[in-house]
Amino acid sequence: MMIPADTPMSHDRLVQELDYYRRECNDLGARVLRLQEEQSRAFREARRSRTVARLIREAYKLVDRTNEIDEIGALMLDIIVNNTICDRAAFLQRKGRDEFAVTHLVGFEDERTPTTLVLPSAPLFFYTTSQTPMESPASELTRLLRLPYVLWAFDAGSAFALILGNRSEGNVSRPFEPGDQELIEGALSVYADIVYRKRTEGDLRAAKREADTARAAQASFLASLSHELRTPLNAIIGFSEVIRDQILGPNGKLKHQEYAAHIHDSGTHLLSLINDILDLSKLEKEGEIPLNEEGFDVTGVVDRAVRDALPIAQEKGLSVETSIPAQLPQLFADPRRIRQILTNLLSNAVKFTPSGGKIVLSTRIEDRQGLLIEIADTGIGMTAQEIPRALAPFGQIQNVYSREHKGTGLGLPICKALVELHGGSFEVASVPGQGTTVTIRLPPDRLVPSP
Amino acid sequence: MAVRVGFSRSFEAGAAAKACAGPIRALGQASWGIAFCGGKHNPEAFLKALKAELGDIPIVGGSAAGAITRAGIGYGGLETAVAGFFDMEEPPFITVTKRLGEGEQMAGRELGEAVRSQAPDGRVVLLFYSSVAATAPLRLHPGSPLVTGFYEGLGNAKVTLIGAGTLTDMNLSNSWIFDGTGMTTHSAVAVVLPADLCAETAILHGCVPVSSFMQITKVHGAEVYELDGRPAVQVLEGMLGIDLGSCGAQELSLIATLGEKHGDRFAPYDENAYVNRLILNANPSTGSITLFEPDFSNGAIVQVMSRDNALMIESVRKGTEEILRRTAGRDGQVALYIDCAGRASARSGAPVEEADVMLQSFKSDMPLIGLYSGVEIAPVNAQSRPLDWTAVLTVLYRGG
Repeated sequence: MMIPADTPMSHDRLVQELDYYRRECNDLGARVLRLQEEQSRAFREARRSRTVARLIREAYKLVDRTNEIDEIGALMLDIIVNNTICDRAAFLQRKGRDEFAVTHLVGFEDERTPTTLVLPSAPLFFYTTSQTPMESPASELTRLLRLPYVLWAFDAGSAFALILGNRSEGNVSRPFEPGDQELIEGALSVYADIVYRKRTEGDLRAAKREADTARAAQASFLASLSHELRTPLNAIIGFSEVIRDQILGPNGKLKHQEYAAHIHDSGTHLLSLINDILDLSKLEKEGEIPLNEEGFDVTGVVDRAVRDALPIAQEKGLSVETSIPAQLPQLFADPRRIRQILTNLLSNAVKFTPSGGKIVLSTRIEDRQGLLIEIADTGIGMTAQEIPRALAPFGQIQNVYSREHKGTGLGLPICKALVELHGGSFEVASVPGQGTTVTIRLPPDRLVPSP
Repeated sequence: MAVRVGFSRSFEAGAAAKACAGPIRALGQASWGIAFCGGKHNPEAFLKALKAELGDIPIVGGSAAGAITRAGIGYGGLETAVAGFFDMEEPPFITVTKRLGEGEQMAGRELGEAVRSQAPDGRVVLLFYSSVAATAPLRLHPGSPLVTGFYEGLGNAKVTLIGAGTLTDMNLSNSWIFDGTGMTTHSAVAVVLPADLCAETAILHGCVPVSSFMQITKVHGAEVYELDGRPAVQVLEGMLGIDLGSCGAQELSLIATLGEKHGDRFAPYDENAYVNRLILNANPSTGSITLFEPDFSNGAIVQVMSRDNALMIESVRKGTEEILRRTAGRDGQVALYIDCAGRASARSGAPVEEADVMLQSFKSDMPLIGLYSGVEIAPVNAQSRPLDWTAVLTVLYRGG
């Protein structure tokens, strides 16, 4: 039945209608309340599930924050309590069969803090709720944190354990449950992983420090030994020259002259060896060989190095050729060191190339790669395995060639180091029985543009 | 006058104090400070270290379930925040009562009388008190008798009262305050700011009514026994569709509040018209619910309120923009954010931190310091009241 719009409603009718709307309002309100709560609960659970990922992500950043292992535990607990909002937390480390030492803890304010935990048969994972009977291990673990609700994980491999605790199961905390295993074990494994990584890094740093110290001691020893030997050797060489060349008058016997020549050769060789050792020890202590850099004509330096090598090459029946472009820009480098490199490499080439062989020294400008110097011979060559040994300091001293051929065995490492000191690269290519090619590249900024 | 704020989330109290003091020391010697310290720190160690850095200046504030600054936000228990005040026209007047345990109203009166002795008309007064009275069973120091007593002691003087009930953590485990000289519990400290400092305050809400009006028909203190003649627990159980005897009754504080609408009861919804009370506990044996505050009386008309996270975020955004608009052109010195701990995402389930939203919306260079609190105190109509589930954003500015 329709009620006309202008008909006043009776009091009973109004009360009835008001009751209806109140009921409907309260029902709707109750549904809104439940929906809100369901949504909040879903958000809170989603937040907790994100906690594992967030905690692990934040924890791994500790790797870059500190090298102090002790500090990592504190920083890690900070991240754990910040993400889990727990009341107390501690890291422990197993020290004996049943004994753990507390290494880090948070949340005790001014209370007496626990230092040890005796826990027979430590479980890998454990938690307490209001339903948990107070027997081992619940009794020991709740006593440790002096809180009723605890969450525990133990990693037998690393001997680390982590325990979190709450005062209540309500408010922001909810009862611990099996699903929390992922959280606590994740946090513990990240901690163990970072500590292991930092320990390994620490060991490596210590080993490197020891190696550096040993190398510095070796270089220092060689330098002082070389200085000690060089002075008397200069005297030996000088006086043997006097005797050999009969500067003070004729020697009594031809043998005197011959022995003096032997003394002179041996002395010269020893001096060369000592000079190389001295160079090498300076090069190993980076930056100790200063470069006296200037712009100079490469062709002139190449010619002088070839001229030095030519007499012995000719004596062995070797041909030495050069290939140098006519318009080569000046090189900005240490000319004495560049000549030392070329002389050394040519000397090697002459030494290891059998009679009738050929040595070619060529230079050219390479696009964007600067100056290229190549010394190729048709000598005995090396295997691929022998090349790194020849480039290593003292490597060639133990090499069979060094015993057959006169030389210090330090030439190649010195040449390589000097080239690198100039910012260049040094490559060796070799085939046994066919020969060796040494390629030096000096960077473009070492070329002086033509005016 | 100048203010500098420092923040830290450090494992060790001394390091936390040093980190907080850094930006303050950089400006020189502060004359006093406000400090909020996470409950996982030893407060005495923190205060000692802070004074070693800043000098033996008065420090007020207290425990905080979390701290809020531009440099960081958090509520894990290790957060600390300190504001240092420089070059003030006059030193602030600080008064303390350590007698909350003997009666909150009497303690409030003591504070109010001390403040009145300073001729405080027109002044801004900051109030910090320890919220937790006992832990087993949980009992709070209610803010409403404290504030009532304060106004009784104050007499006819008019002040702008802004404050916080402090907590050590989200689980209401403990609370303490810094009272200007040291750390104390069951205490309250009031700070009367210099005459040239004024306050503009915004109360940020987040609750909507989800019931018709109900009358409180039986109440004793904070214990509400009956609503519309029915046991209060029964009313809430009916609305929530749950048995409060079987669930953790503490969860109620995460779900619903009771709200009292001020002004015209039948006016359209306005969040500022409501004073909300969190529900601390439900007691199935007595059929009663325990509110955070004992200020609802017999005959009060209330509504069950739902905490609405979307509304909370919206309220924060609008309220922050509004206070910036109201203080535009004024000489803002520092902003203070007193934020109910229940609003933090871990408790409310909000998808974002509302304190983050506030910081993003507070587009100003003004220093800002805040805490996660148990109770917020702010002006509602003529006088200040303790509030629940709100955030109180205050801008202190110079001039009239």
